[in-house]
Amino acid sequence: MKLASFLSLVLITGFLFVSINKLHPVGSPMGNPDALKDRGTAVTDIKNVSTMDDYYLRNSQTETGSNNVVASIVFDYRGFDTLGEATVLFLVVTSISMLLSLLYKREDVDDYEFRKPNEFPGDVSRIISYGSYLLYPLIITFGVYLVIHGHLSPGGGFQGGAVMASGTALLLVSALITRHVHRTRRIFSFFESLGLTIFISMGFAGIGTTFLYNFLAQGSASLFGRAIPFGPNPGYLNSGGMLPVLSFAIGVEVFFGLSIILVSLFHVARHRKDPE
Amino acid sequence: MISSVLFIILSLVIIVTAMLSLYFRDLLASIVSYAVMSLVLTVVYFHLDAPDVAIAEAAIGAALTISIFVLTIKLTRRREE
Repeated sequence: MKLASFLSLVLITGFLFVSINKLHPVGSPMGNPDALKDRGTAVTDIKNVSTMDDYYLRNSQTETGSNNVVASIVFDYRGFDTLGEATVLFLVVTSISMLLSLLYKREDVDDYEFRKPNEFPGDVSRIISYGSYLLYPLIITFGVYLVIHGHLSPGGGFQGGAVMASGTALLLVSALITRHVHRTRRIFSFFESLGLTIFISMGFAGIGTTFLYNFLAQGSASLFGRAIPFGPNPGYLNSGGMLPVLSFAIGVEVFFGLSIILVSLFHVARHRKDPE
Repeated sequence: MISSVLFIILSLVIIVTAMLSLYFRDLLASIVSYAVMSLVLTVVYFHLDAPDVAIAEAAIGAALTISIFVLTIKLTRRREE
């Protein structure tokens, strides 16, 4: 058994060291060095393209109207994978909150309370409470920025939602919110389902061509359809077609889903039913 | 040169903290060591020009996972037999 684990460790390490040599510089084409030169005006231009990376680098800005190639792959070319991930997260949140709801008494959880910073409970340090009172708006602002600018700058729906959910964790740890679970869970689960519903209905809206077809990218400029030049540029908020909408949907779903897990777990840790 | 030396030091810190988080019998210390690993891993991802992954690692690895683990420890035992 020990020999087998040692052998697998050596194999994995050797595989990683071999594959380091196969990496190529960031932002430069891998197969053909001319892949980024002489870009045509056609929507799909496969001149000089020899690998899939080169295809994305050459065509993603024209086809999806988004400056962020990673976001255009995640939400457009591989949008169906993202739908699968969102469904997995939805199922995980559902099963975890069902499991945790068995663990606390129902009469504990009905009152709702938001504390002000001068009425903190005694068991929480004053520094932590005031610090998180100051930090929470900044974290939420950063998360909203990541979600809204998902098609322009690094980030996107999943990262922004996770950042905002860490804000929820800060709020819970510093006891700014206590005893809240039922109403919070009802609101949060409504918005989580809303995010997934927006994603799926945007997928069906382009069903005339394919499922999850980016039908807004070549449309009017007032509806996320603004054309962008090829090459590095700051971009516009109303470009990207369907990508900002999908990024928003995923951001809403991830934020409220992870927040439901945290709120339920925190409540169980505070008011657990006494074991018989 | 400086940046590659820094990169090697950060990679060694990642390996050491990952082994420490397996080694500790006190689960809270193990979690803190895991948080340090995630933070340094964020810097390494950013150095490798992957800011997307760096943001996800900072939010999930260093904040969400840690708080969920700490709450779980509060529900169970702190020391590992």
